[in-house]
Amino acid sequence: MADRIFAGVLLVVSLAYAVIAFTAISAPFQYDPLGPESWPRLLAIVAIVCLLIILWKPDTDSLGVTGRTWFRLAATIILLVAYAELYEPLGFIVSTILFGTTMAAMLGAGILRSAAFGLAAGIAGYLLCVMLLDLNLPAGEIFETLFEPSSPAASEGES
Amino acid sequence: MEAVISGLATGFGVALDPFNLFLVLAGCFAGTLIGALPGLGPINGVAILLPIAYGLGFGPESALILLAGIYYGAEYGGRISSILLNVPGDAGAVMTTLDGNPMARNGEAGRALSLSAVASFIGGTFAVVLMSLFAPLLSAFAVTFSPADYVALMVFAFASLASLVGKSTTKTLLGATIGLMLATIGVDANTGVARYTFGIPDILAGIDFLIVVVGLFGMAELLTLVEHQVSGKLKSLPVDKSFVRWSDIALTKWTIARSSVIGFFIGILPGTGASVASAVAYGTEKRLSDSKGTFGHGDMRGLAAPEAANNAAAGGAMVPMLTLGIPGSGTTAILLGALLMFNIQPGPLMFTQRPDVAWGLIASMYIGNVALLVINLPLVGLFARMLTIPQHYLTPLIAILAFIGIYTIVGNPFDLLLITGLGIFGWFLRKMDFSLAPVILGFVLGSLFENNLRRALSISGGDWSILVSDYKSIVLYVLAVLVVALPVYLTRRARRMEGDADRGGLV
Repeated sequence: MADRIFAGVLLVVSLAYAVIAFTAISAPFQYDPLGPESWPRLLAIVAIVCLLIILWKPDTDSLGVTGRTWFRLAATIILLVAYAELYEPLGFIVSTILFGTTMAAMLGAGILRSAAFGLAAGIAGYLLCVMLLDLNLPAGEIFETLFEPSSPAASEGES
Repeated sequence: MEAVISGLATGFGVALDPFNLFLVLAGCFAGTLIGALPGLGPINGVAILLPIAYGLGFGPESALILLAGIYYGAEYGGRISSILLNVPGDAGAVMTTLDGNPMARNGEAGRALSLSAVASFIGGTFAVVLMSLFAPLLSAFAVTFSPADYVALMVFAFASLASLVGKSTTKTLLGATIGLMLATIGVDANTGVARYTFGIPDILAGIDFLIVVVGLFGMAELLTLVEHQVSGKLKSLPVDKSFVRWSDIALTKWTIARSSVIGFFIGILPGTGASVASAVAYGTEKRLSDSKGTFGHGDMRGLAAPEAANNAAAGGAMVPMLTLGIPGSGTTAILLGALLMFNIQPGPLMFTQRPDVAWGLIASMYIGNVALLVINLPLVGLFARMLTIPQHYLTPLIAILAFIGIYTIVGNPFDLLLITGLGIFGWFLRKMDFSLAPVILGFVLGSLFENNLRRALSISGGDWSILVSDYKSIVLYVLAVLVVALPVYLTRRARRMEGDADRGGLV
């Protein structure tokens, strides 16, 4: 059953893909006989045939995921999205501390240990990556506007 | 032969540069660490570390040497969790658990670990030696391939993928098609037409290869860890003082030799990697030498066979990747993508155009093999400690590493959402028994496949018969049909013979 739902959803996506390939994509001028649209058309047909076979003969009955696990997975995804959204505004250190702590706590670590883990990951991670490996990580827009007097908002205020 | 020697001289010149030598060692060490993490296989390890290695801004040969070290190290590290925890990191390590874990339970953990290190070393070295002999020959032949031949080669690659990888042929084929479809997103290079971008500027240039890899492997792995969350620590068997003896190696020497040959040649087949090789090697060895029924109860030959085959296949998989530009496994697909990011097109011309990269990589694999043996024998206890890292710290750590790696590429937070989305998709695919390697192979080969097809038809002016006009293409199509038909025929025959035997028993 799970197979059929998944294949059904993919089928809708593939049909949309096929519709675009057969109607929307076209080049104003082209030099090769195939053009940009033929390859997606071929792929769409192969995908739809495969999906129809799976719909015809599914082999996975259920996902075997309990309600609590679904809840935990959903929470993880929400945390990940929040982490991604806060990455630039709050900066690497603060967002990682928040994410690391909540995630570890959610997965069953004690609250103090989680906080220690989050702090360590955020601060040590930043030092290691930015200072030692010279990678580019966000310092945080909030802090930039707070502490940097040369930022546009501050200089406008002075003048 | 002369080309091989001079090539190796170039290669060792690159690989023995102190900085590159350091990178091999660092890569092997980091790879073993991440490979030893419970449940995190080599491919996920390489996927998570790849963007970080890319972000460090080394030259192409140094970055590749680092990545190959990580790849090799992760293959080594994977066996530690197989033997001590009975948790295989990836499909290739499943066979290692069959006899490795019973050995550890019999109180011979140290012996099992050191024997598997020796077997891996021999298998890996054998593969690298064969690779340095074969690769230049194959690439010299592959220079004569026309676009139509390349199309045939791709068909062969996907056919062997569909028939040998995964549980269901349809699902493997669909997985590869999904990868190919993902690769069509972005501006078409030939005509400048935007395809499937829906006006989102972030994906005009196509979805970045790193994002697909980290999303499908790293983030999907993270969701799997959350799903299987086990509270507290996993119980690891202790590493004792027992050690491999010369008599053990003497006992297993033919096993290791046979399995290395099997592993290498299966590894060469495009699309099939270590998982098929180790399964075939274990099966062969069991049929040949399991006279007392000790396989599965801690037989040393049962441990040595998949380990030697595993590492030989890892080397064998590099051959088509370097010479044809067609990766032999999921992990080499990732390495291929890494080469493309450095604007190096792997394939027949790489040996003549960028000999420093091609031969430097090969030489670093010689060094990496030795380094891993040296690192692994004394330090295995340290790596085994990694097994006891509680899952509730490991899981957020994977996300943090993945985010660092992806953000450092271009500094676009949209990419972080993209990997999360792809991670969810990858998790669903895994739950449905799809294998993820075909998806990444399809994604990497997508533009190569399409461009060669379009080039071939441009040459012929739209006449499709060009695809079967050369003997090379025809041979490849025949091989593709064989590789699909043969396993089906063999299982049918085996079933029929079993059926006959049953009926004979009843009468």
